[in-house]
Amino acid sequence: MKHMLLAGAVTLASTAFALGASAQTITLGAAVSQSGKYSTNGMHTINGYNLAIELINARGGVKVGDTTYKLAIKYYDDESTPARGAELAERLIKQDGIKFLLGPYSSGLTKAIAPVTEKYGVPMVEANGASRSLFTNGYKYLFAVLSTSEQYLSSAVSLAAEMAKKEGRDPSSVRIAAAFENDPFSQDVRAGVLDDAKSFGMKVVIDDSLPKNLSDMTPTMTKVKALKPDLFVVSGHSKGAATATRQMAEQNVYVPMVAMTHCDSADIVGKFGKAAEGILCAAQWAPSLTYQDDLFGTAADFAKKFKEKYGYAPPYQAAESAAAVEVFTKAFERAGSLDQAKVRDALAATDMQTFYGNIKFDKNGKNIAKPMVLYQVQNGELVVVAPTKWAQAKVVFPRKRN
Amino acid sequence: MAQARTSQWIASLAFLAIAIAAPFVLPNNMSQLVDLMVFILIALSWDMLGGQMGYNSFGNILFFGIGMYLVASTQVWMGGYSLAEYNSAKGGNLESFVVTAPVYVTSLIIGLAAAAVLNYFVGLFVGSQLLQTRGHYFAVGTLGLGVAAGEFAGTMDVLGGGSGMNFLQPPEGVNLTMLLYWLGLGTVMLFIAFLIWLHRTRFGFVMNAIRDNEDKAEAMGLPTNKVKSVSWAVAAVFTAIAGGLYGAGKNFIDPTEVAFSLPTIGVWMLLMPLMGGKGTLWGPILGAVLFQLFKEFFWTYLFGWQRVALGLLIVIIVVFFPDGVMGGINALRERLFGKAKSAGESGEAA
Repeated sequence: MKHMLLAGAVTLASTAFALGASAQTITLGAAVSQSGKYSTNGMHTINGYNLAIELINARGGVKVGDTTYKLAIKYYDDESTPARGAELAERLIKQDGIKFLLGPYSSGLTKAIAPVTEKYGVPMVEANGASRSLFTNGYKYLFAVLSTSEQYLSSAVSLAAEMAKKEGRDPSSVRIAAAFENDPFSQDVRAGVLDDAKSFGMKVVIDDSLPKNLSDMTPTMTKVKALKPDLFVVSGHSKGAATATRQMAEQNVYVPMVAMTHCDSADIVGKFGKAAEGILCAAQWAPSLTYQDDLFGTAADFAKKFKEKYGYAPPYQAAESAAAVEVFTKAFERAGSLDQAKVRDALAATDMQTFYGNIKFDKNGKNIAKPMVLYQVQNGELVVVAPTKWAQAKVVFPRKRN
Repeated sequence: MAQARTSQWIASLAFLAIAIAAPFVLPNNMSQLVDLMVFILIALSWDMLGGQMGYNSFGNILFFGIGMYLVASTQVWMGGYSLAEYNSAKGGNLESFVVTAPVYVTSLIIGLAAAAVLNYFVGLFVGSQLLQTRGHYFAVGTLGLGVAAGEFAGTMDVLGGGSGMNFLQPPEGVNLTMLLYWLGLGTVMLFIAFLIWLHRTRFGFVMNAIRDNEDKAEAMGLPTNKVKSVSWAVAAVFTAIAGGLYGAGKNFIDPTEVAFSLPTIGVWMLLMPLMGGKGTLWGPILGAVLFQLFKEFFWTYLFGWQRVALGLLIVIIVVFFPDGVMGGINALRERLFGKAKSAGESGEAA
């Protein structure tokens, strides 16, 4: 009996030792939506984070000072509700002792979590909160790798102006129909579109606010059918993109130019096939871009690795999430310490190229080094059509009638 | 009867002692403790109608949300800023909207008081309209309240519209969670004392009479309509305070997902009394404590299945313990010690 106890004690002690040895891990925390209306994009976010972690660990980890650390992430499910997100951020920091956070999915959740990380001085690199207002608060611990939301659809508006000129019409004759979800992100996109429309003197003939969790936008479609606008812009995360594409086809609504956000994460090509043809999609990133880094390689390499692991082409949400982890690692290395303030300063000094794009933060923590791109669905493929520097093909205008 | 009341006071003191000790024992769980106080308030408020009076309301979330917006707005207004200007920044520019610690604290308290007063009248008004219906019709009628309010708030640009509204940032020197906890606990104790008193008044008996047989109560000439509306108005007062505390703790108001969130808070507030035992004083409190414990436990250890676990728990409670934990305790006691002497549903101390 005594021996058994002794043996037990030895086992325990050695386990403790083993644990101590493997404790050379930096655990990042993240509350990401795995249920609720953002669950699809939450999954893309998590897959992006995990792929980055896996690659970094496979290369041996992160070297901070003289120690090499492995990376890990502690996840919680915020259920797509801001109140839960704020609670979980607090829990990660206060109860789980997490010192560094990765962002959640969506602007609303980021808005709820940023005050918490700010309060405790916890650096957060986020990849999926694009709302402009996040970066006017002078937050010191918030860093975002993506372009802000008012830039999402503005290229579509200028494209419409260009097309009007080509047809020999004045850009101010363009009539816009707009349908935006009533949430922080989409309302910001709307503000960008309205500003641009104003600068061209275009008329916004429909300006609909869509309910959250939308699965029906028949009233908007009816109006679009009656008013025949030249440009139809929609933003409502993945559900909005899917609903708009489906109902335009079902209800035979034709607009010569249609632009929306989130069509790649909603997989409108795979789900709706021909109905998606000709639709313009705003994206933070595309696999055909020429950026590269030493971890993932080129944008195309990332896309390949991602597809091998998860079995689907990476939407930009996954790419930017992976980039966020990369930015964090580089900051750890440059800081040479796991001190939160030092890591924060190292993050602020970031100026690098990743497979996802150039990353350089302004004093509010937003990335000012990367433009948006505009895709078009052409023959069942997402093809970059703007900006011209990366365009793979000319835009097809007007889009074909089905 | 006097004896029952004494034991309730003793139980209240015991609860108070535990609640005072809690922040010292669990300093890292302060925000969960604040939530617990909020949950106790909304559970007890819901029980005033659902338990004591037999009117199952899905509409209490209305007062919760109004309270939240009102406290946030009062703080902005008392800080000397224009609400429209503050919200047109959509939660941005918080650096230029700063207040001092004393202003922050007083505006929070005045905001809570204003929310209480205003919601008394909202409750009275809504009650005078909706409480004309009974049973399922009432429950279904109240369902729309929160949904409508959420959509309405989402269109109000002065309140930030669909982009939501941030609370002012607490200035240096304000320990917000502590402040919210003590305000919450104070309100809970006030509410408990009020309920112990109320349940022994004529008003309290009329509430129970309405539950047991409203037609008879009316035939006896009891002022049922007045009692119903006033009860709901009182419930509205405490629900609104809870909403203000919850919002300030979460720092961010989304019209449909935080303020008027029927699927979460709106349903939880009736689950808690059901779990603990509705129609009793300690049932809703016990239910709130259990609910918060289970919720946090599930979210941590049953990651990915938390909603399923919570759903199962609800089903188990409704099927096997229709009278909640308090009902189970009372049944057990009756079996062991025979039937309790004092009658009345507003059960004795746990």
